[in-house]
Amino acid sequence: MSDETGQNDAYVRKFTFRPFTGLRRGRVYRIWSISWQWWTHEWDRSRAIKILIGFQLFTLLITNIILLSFRGLIPGIATEQLLEDTLISLVRGIVSFRTEIHADTNGSGDEFGNGGFTIGGSSFFILILCVLVGSGLIADDITNKTNEIYYAKLEKYEYIAGKFGAYFIFGNVIITLPYVLEFFLLFIGLGNMDFVTVFPVLIHVILFTEIVNLTFSAIILALSSLTGRRLYAGLTAFMLLFLANMIVPTLAFNTGQEIGLPLLTDVLTLLLICSYIIDGDTIISLTDFEGIEHTLNLTNGVGIEGWMILGSLGLVIMFGVLIVVFQVNRRHSS
Amino acid sequence: MSFDITITTDQLSKYYGSIRGVENISIKVPAGGVGFLGPNGAGKTTLIRTLLGIIRPTKGTAHVLGYDIKSDINQIRDRIGYIPEFNTAFIPDMTAMKFIAFCGRMNGLSGAESKQRASDSLYYVGLGEERYRKLGTFSLGMKQKVKLASALVHDPEIIIADEPTNGLDPNGRIQMLDLIRNLQTDQNKHVILSSHLLRDVEQTTDYAIVFSEGEILAQGRIKDLTSGRSTSISVKVKNNEEQFINSLKNDGLEVWVEGGYIEVTKSVNIEKVIFRTAYEAGAEIRYFGSRSRTLEDVFVDLFKDKEGIQ
Ligand SMILES: Nc1ncnc2c1ncn2[C@@H]1O[C@H](COP(=O)(O)OP(=O)(O)OP(=O)(O)O)[C@@H](O)[C@H]1O
Ligand SMILES: [Mg+2]
Repeated sequence: MSDETGQNDAYVRKFTFRPFTGLRRGRVYRIWSISWQWWTHEWDRSRAIKILIGFQLFTLLITNIILLSFRGLIPGIATEQLLEDTLISLVRGIVSFRTEIHADTNGSGDEFGNGGFTIGGSSFFILILCVLVGSGLIADDITNKTNEIYYAKLEKYEYIAGKFGAYFIFGNVIITLPYVLEFFLLFIGLGNMDFVTVFPVLIHVILFTEIVNLTFSAIILALSSLTGRRLYAGLTAFMLLFLANMIVPTLAFNTGQEIGLPLLTDVLTLLLICSYIIDGDTIISLTDFEGIEHTLNLTNGVGIEGWMILGSLGLVIMFGVLIVVFQVNRRHSS
Repeated sequence: MSFDITITTDQLSKYYGSIRGVENISIKVPAGGVGFLGPNGAGKTTLIRTLLGIIRPTKGTAHVLGYDIKSDINQIRDRIGYIPEFNTAFIPDMTAMKFIAFCGRMNGLSGAESKQRASDSLYYVGLGEERYRKLGTFSLGMKQKVKLASALVHDPEIIIADEPTNGLDPNGRIQMLDLIRNLQTDQNKHVILSSHLLRDVEQTTDYAIVFSEGEILAQGRIKDLTSGRSTSISVKVKNNEEQFINSLKNDGLEVWVEGGYIEVTKSVNIEKVIFRTAYEAGAEIRYFGSRSRTLEDVFVDLFKDKEGIQ
């Protein structure tokens, strides 16, 4: 190994600059190396990520303690139901700031009081961190001019895939994994339940958190490539997600009987409703600032429909990806 | 594998919208060390980026080591080590080792291999001691060397260095050029050095391709480019220039016009002959000089020619 060869220049040159004779790895390996390199680097340097992970796990721990200690006081609810209600409201907490929703029909997370165990603010931290960490993904390469090195070694789509992959590692560790873990903790902790019955809850948790990851990654990476500066990307992403969530519902509530189409521009609320759609709910109620409930029927052909929710999310994701592809192929390397 | 010609291009053109990057470039780049020489905006970087598939040519084709840039670009990328001209800041809080190993993995090296080769490359460029330091703490000269290491880590056959001495002090410049030349002489790599500085190219390679405004003006061994016409005398005359030239030609002299000067091959008593001929032709001599031409002259002349045409 070169490390032991000492300082003699001639020696080093003679013995260390060996020709490479092995086989080169495939394309997927290279894409993955971008993702993994980024993630390990962020993990090493970012205290915020570790704090958030700790915070997430702490939240789950508290939830478990409360749930298990008061288990006896909540009679009449099957353990399966308890698990479902707890977990689904927990994952919904990721995107609940301003909007409070509950389904009119009894579904997941309702019987037990919506968001009862979500410690307020965790969702805010998650959003801040996603934006903070993700906004540098492409922008930093532009700022530091490292993108030319990537493009000289890889195809542009491989670079893009690597960057999305990087975000997905992050999203899965920060968001998906803790809730999957929670599922198994509750499954074991509450005991006495049939895995097949609660399996859909696990699917819901994974599906929903991955939709959140996908949406966040599309928005954040698009802005990262569009602005080319970490700070601007972060600010715009935050404004787009958080401020929209603060402002848009109020506008949407004031448009008539059913909730108006402007709601479709509020990505966080779209995501939240998406969870109800996954659950099969068709009529939900949104509570505004004054505590007044607004009913939203997703299948009555009036106002916002279920397909619009999914379609809008799809559009957001599609546009996000297209912007990244366009920026990388045209603007950053013309 | 050994190649006599490493890169060929055929009618290669690249436009940025309506701006010409390069136009109808057809070159054969010989093996060994080659300089891409040309002033700012000549199209050197454009050509290099096209060869690496970073930008697509508007038309034309090119082959690197026998691989087509359209269909086998990834084969090419694994065989080229590229030092971009930009002042890359890298990832400031990453160590040099990590970054270079990462570069290796992007070129398909396994984890262990990439670490070992990263260390080798950093030693090679003289940053062995500093390899665990964060890149943000590196000086500009060190960063240039890191770029070189990033181009070496995957053991490419061709190294393309685009303005690698940009922003370096004299000492750093010499070191950088030494390293690049050694790659060719000691490590048997093909080296392409792109620069707007003649002295950089002269010190590093034997062969040069001269670019201007997106086109190739000359190419050849630097020795030939500099000495080929060094035996001529330059003359400038007023009035009856054509007659003067013809008379000289009739005397059996080799005469040509270059950069506004009439060049006459030296021979015995050439001065007398020229003055007499001028007198007879009714031409008034405005300039008379023996020029030992360096590549710099060729270089300057070539661009003068170019401007004269347009
Ligand atoms: N991304 C781009 N968009 C538009 N025009 C460009 C772009 N890159 C280069 N050009 C133009 O193409 C021409 C060739 O530029 P290029 O960078 O290839 O020259 P160069 O020989 O590398 O010059 P330098 O010595 O300054 O690096 C110039 O006129 C330049 O303005
Ligand atoms: Mg250039």
